[in-house]
Amino acid sequence: MTDRFPGYDVLGKRHTPSWNDKTREVIDQRLAMRADAHRAFTDTQWLTLNALCERIVPQPADRAPAPLAAMIDEKVFEDRTDGYRDGRLPPLGEAWRRGLAGLDAEARTRHGRPFHDLSSAEQDGLLGAVQKGLADHPAWGDMPARLFFEKRAVHDIVAAYYAHPKAWNEIGFGGPAAPRGYVRLQADRRDPWEASEARPGRADQARRENARVGRS
Amino acid sequence: MSDAAEVPQATDGRAPDVMRVGGWIPMRQYADTEAVDFVIVGTGAGGGTLACKLAEHGFSVAALDAGPYWRPLEDFASDERHQAKLDWTDERIVDGDNPLVLGANNSGKAVGGSTVHFAMVSLRFRPEWFKARSQLGYGADWPIDWREMWRYYREVEQALKISGPVTYPWGPKRPAYPYRPHEMNAAALVLARGAEALGIKWIPTPLATVSAPRGLAHPCVYRGMCVIGCATNAKQSVLVTWLPRALAAGAEIRDLAMVGRIEHDDAGRVTGVHYHRDGAWRFQRARNVVVAGYAIETPRLLLSSASNLFPDGLANASGLVGKNLMVQSNQAVWGVMDEEIRCYKGPPSLSITEHWNYEDKGKDFFGGYCYMSQGVLPVTWAGIQAGARGLWGQALIDEMTRYNHQVGLKMVGECLPQERNQVTLTEETDQYGLRIPRVTYAYCDNDKRMIRHALGFMRQNLVAGGGKEIFEETDDTCHMNGTARMGDSPRDSVVSADCRSWDIPNLWICDGSIFPTVGGVNPSLTIQAIACRTADRIKAMAGRGEL
Amino acid sequence: MRAAVLREFGRDFAKTSALTPAPQARILRFSGRNRRVDIASAAGRQLNLSAAILALSVLADSAQEHYRGSFHNRTMYAPLGVAALALGGSLFGVFDRRPMRHPARDGVYALAALTGLVGLGFHAYNIAKRPGRMSWHNLFYGAPAGAPFALVLSGLLGRAAEKVRDAAAGEARVLGVPAGRLLAAVSALGLVGTVGEAGLLHYRGAFQNPAMALPVSLPPVAAALVGAQAIRPSTGRAARAWLKLTAALGFAGVGFHMFGVHRGNGGWGNWRQNVLNGPPIPAPPSFTGLALAGLAALALMAEAADD
Repeated sequence: MTDRFPGYDVLGKRHTPSWNDKTREVIDQRLAMRADAHRAFTDTQWLTLNALCERIVPQPADRAPAPLAAMIDEKVFEDRTDGYRDGRLPPLGEAWRRGLAGLDAEARTRHGRPFHDLSSAEQDGLLGAVQKGLADHPAWGDMPARLFFEKRAVHDIVAAYYAHPKAWNEIGFGGPAAPRGYVRLQADRRDPWEASEARPGRADQARRENARVGRS
Repeated sequence: MSDAAEVPQATDGRAPDVMRVGGWIPMRQYADTEAVDFVIVGTGAGGGTLACKLAEHGFSVAALDAGPYWRPLEDFASDERHQAKLDWTDERIVDGDNPLVLGANNSGKAVGGSTVHFAMVSLRFRPEWFKARSQLGYGADWPIDWREMWRYYREVEQALKISGPVTYPWGPKRPAYPYRPHEMNAAALVLARGAEALGIKWIPTPLATVSAPRGLAHPCVYRGMCVIGCATNAKQSVLVTWLPRALAAGAEIRDLAMVGRIEHDDAGRVTGVHYHRDGAWRFQRARNVVVAGYAIETPRLLLSSASNLFPDGLANASGLVGKNLMVQSNQAVWGVMDEEIRCYKGPPSLSITEHWNYEDKGKDFFGGYCYMSQGVLPVTWAGIQAGARGLWGQALIDEMTRYNHQVGLKMVGECLPQERNQVTLTEETDQYGLRIPRVTYAYCDNDKRMIRHALGFMRQNLVAGGGKEIFEETDDTCHMNGTARMGDSPRDSVVSADCRSWDIPNLWICDGSIFPTVGGVNPSLTIQAIACRTADRIKAMAGRGEL
Repeated sequence: MRAAVLREFGRDFAKTSALTPAPQARILRFSGRNRRVDIASAAGRQLNLSAAILALSVLADSAQEHYRGSFHNRTMYAPLGVAALALGGSLFGVFDRRPMRHPARDGVYALAALTGLVGLGFHAYNIAKRPGRMSWHNLFYGAPAGAPFALVLSGLLGRAAEKVRDAAAGEARVLGVPAGRLLAAVSALGLVGTVGEAGLLHYRGAFQNPAMALPVSLPPVAAALVGAQAIRPSTGRAARAWLKLTAALGFAGVGFHMFGVHRGNGGWGNWRQNVLNGPPIPAPPSFTGLALAGLAALALMAEAADD
């Protein structure tokens, strides 16, 4: 996949009127997260979690990844619940720990190796089986593996990634917007402080416009 | 400065001035031992509005809220993840055939309640809905006449300076909204174009965010983050409208005050509430208690307050407390456009059609629905792609790069009341030691037929508006009502038309719980109108010595 | 150098301008046709000034609004160029003390009026193709009629200015009608149109500030009075007073609108948004331009009445 928003960096807007103090504080904290910090999981669970995050949200090799596993760890450690829990799932932390154990056990049974040692293709195959409801290792306990995958694993990892500015750059999201919002609301119109998309044959123009985003 | 999330702000005779950074306004305070005329549990659309109106009518009022007292200008970040602090994220168990998703879309834990992050869509009920049973053949009748509600709708629309269309194409004639409609964004125009192609009417959505300055509030800047909290105060939430008025009229607002139990005397009259604040349980004496915690916390509190005298919970002689939980179906169709839509700009729903609320021909179901254009922020959008389509891995990443081209239509549909859909208590307890609620929900066949109809029709509209590669989001719901319904008789309702408990004359319920039916529109305007009416009724009853 | 020219212009202009409300005084000092040529020349130059103010308003407003519209259509540059030309031509006319028309100015004014008309067409098309057609929403947020209308007026007043300069006061005729009366009518109609535009946009703003009622209450009186002069000329004293008030309001409006921009979220620090989404700073001077035209018309009519 080629870069759809070449040169766009939402962090370039940090000092424009699009960001207020509170936003700077919150995003700074997120950017300062250490990728290797974990408090909620054991080392084994941590390895599985990292491998899982890489498959749910594969990140490009040419930049440092958003620390998704650390963001999950923080959520679980601080027990930041969502406000509801499917009656068939255990509480947040227990669901995660049991789910990671289940994945690992599933990998060892099927491939004789822990989940994080599998190839990407093997990992994807295994996750696909879990999504289809074909995982039944006793390690899952009474927690439906498929439900864990959909309502916990994918839900939490995807939510973590798209809360990260790196993901905003990838999708051309305008990012933080206060006190300044937007002026041009019609189709195919962008404010000078918004990402410019590289339409066919327009990559250079998009790059130029994206370079000006932080100065607008 | 202390953190509003951890430390009560409304203390020492002052409350945060929500319109000024670091500002304070004076607040009257009542001692726990002093019996106030009304203690109100919850400061959202029901409780906050009622607190204001009762205080303005001269009653002494203390309004308690479990959530923090934010100053949006300084406390709100432009960030979905951080702003989850506005949602009620305490644990709740969901089950049934269609387990609900709670939290962001249908709850709030803040002074001002969920209006602090609501989508601001401010619609009136169709008049016939107030007599749904006798005039339309389904659900239950409200014990209130629509013409009376029409007056209270107007009062609320004026209080919130609703920005809406000059003329309204459905229902009885109504005056122009106090403020003009907002400019429609590209996503809203897709709905409009499609609707015109299908030959149905549409309007710029009436919204509770100002299109021109109002007092210290700036006009909306179209930053598109309404549902994670408006950081500019353009949004006319309860926090910035009714509550400053309530304070000026002498009401006290207590933030970070979680009510755990309502107390009563041997005669069966309530005497006050036990609440948790500043690390301790306290007891506020009151002549009247109003419960306004919304459709889950209201029955939870009433059920938790069970006693020897009321073993099934307070106000529950009918056995209906917690029953008849109604959500609104919130299904959507999504597609992509060739053009860049950038739906993150502007309030999320800038155009709407109420066609299927007012048109009864061609329906194979009871009730109505509206649908509106959609703006979605990245985390939510990714959640839809992962949830509704089961996408993950590179497929998800690639799909997400089309974010700026996506467009959608979402319904707010009327689900029918069913006793089996309910709120009960589990044995698990929360951080306050209170029993966690269980929320059980299943669509009935009528609900499913409506959803099928809506998905089919919205798909036509989206395609006619230029949408391609359409997919359906089939499982979302929004708004919750009905767990303490009002009615004409103590046998089949929990409260009277005046929101007064049939069983305990000085216990009142004033929020979405009292809805006998939900209608096909967002409920906040109706909740506020009911609160205004209730305050006027209480004043009248007090004048006659009937309290 | 430039300052000196301006000073000289100021003195000269004040001496003969219809803005100075003392034609009677001048009558004592001058007499005969020379005097009337002098008056006509001054009125013509004042009309050039009206056209200049309107052109400036259009130039700034269309620059702002078409920038907001990302100049997505190349023709959106046209009003900028033409309004700039009309502004230049008008200023040339204001400083040009020769009591005669100039073919270049005449041409530029014709072009301005024509461009304004074409712009009205474009803007009507823009609204007509939107869902909702002539709905309130589209009138509020679609391409406005006011700006191209102001360009038409600038062109028309400029054309009239050239005619008037060419003749002695009381003799100038446009389309066979005495210039004074016709110009009074144009000024009145222009004011009515501009009041309509301000009324629409201030209604969009819910008249949230009491001052927003001013442009829909003062100028209509001026329009009615100067319009009455066109139909039935009299001393015109009341009309002159209200026109002056209206001219001042146009200037004050700029101040009010700047306050409005500052009133947006983020204030001037967020100028990139608030200048575009707030009240349009360049719009109110249209009132000034039209009021000056009305005053010039009254001056011409006063001369005609003397004969």
